Amino acid sequence: MKKNILISPIILFFLILLVFFYLLIIDRNPSELPSVLINKKVPAFEAKLLLGNKTFISPGEFGNETKLVNFFATWCKPCLDEHPYLKKLSNEKGLKIIGINYKDDPKRAIEWLKKLGNPYSKVLVDRNALLGIDWGVYGLPETFIVNSNGMIKYRLVGPITKKNYDSFVLKVKEVEK
Amino acid sequence: MQRILLAIVVCLMTSQIVTINCYSVEPDEFLQNPKKELRARNISKNVRCLVCQNQSIDESSAPLAKDLRILIRKKIEHGNSDEEIYNFLSERYGDFILLNPPFKISTLFLWILPFVFLAVGIFVIFLHNNKSKKLDYIK
Repeated sequence: MKKNILISPIILFFLILLVFFYLLIIDRNPSELPSVLINKKVPAFEAKLLLGNKTFISPGEFGNETKLVNFFATWCKPCLDEHPYLKKLSNEKGLKIIGINYKDDPKRAIEWLKKLGNPYSKVLVDRNALLGIDWGVYGLPETFIVNSNGMIKYRLVGPITKKNYDSFVLKVKEVEK
Repeated sequence: MQRILLAIVVCLMTSQIVTINCYSVEPDEFLQNPKKELRARNISKNVRCLVCQNQSIDESSAPLAKDLRILIRKKIEHGNSDEEIYNFLSERYGDFILLNPPFKISTLFLWILPFVFLAVGIFVIFLHNNKSKKLDYIK
């Protein structure tokens, strides 16, 4: 009995060590936050389109099919890296991507899209970050997968890259099911 | 002379006289009404900056913190209560945005565990004392 009591702190210590070691070696980003919007309806908002003089009204524009919502800006370097993969998603997978131009100069954004190509079906202007706050955005780029019922199913913080492209496509397929 | 000047500058910098202001609220953000401004400051102190994650938005100079500070002031001007503003933020960013986590089922352990540990500690000390008392008797 006494021996057990003496040994138990040592065992406990090694168990805690094991937990920390596990957290250290798994592939995770400790500063990444889960979105509270998962499995909720897309927020209701109105926004001006970057191209043309129309207004985009949510949630009316969602539904029927799976859509992506991508927050981007011309000042954001990872967004530039992500751009080819967004084009791939829209061209090869036929996905509709709604781009939200976050705290950016519309003129620059138009030029940027002209130069690099436009993977977005619609681009909304969010000059004062209000849309970003509605979607709980805290770092660009962020990409949301919205299902055919207008529900947010997944959020990716950070760019879609060569490394996570395949797993992202898998996530889209899961949502499409 | 130069040395003395340098010494004075270093002294000033390291003393409390010339400190870097750790509040990031910019003058153009202030509300006209001081009462409302105070409310905004108090709310900002309780809201986490999600970019830096260990600072309140009152202290952080991250762009998102500034946006949230402006938003909070706009909501105050609109007549929203503190409660409504906190709810608005946690609906979008989760409870993590509140520096003071609310008492909920998911945060039960967080709030109760310190008291459990305290009880265990008292129990262990009590047990230990009893044992040593018994040993004293034997002696």
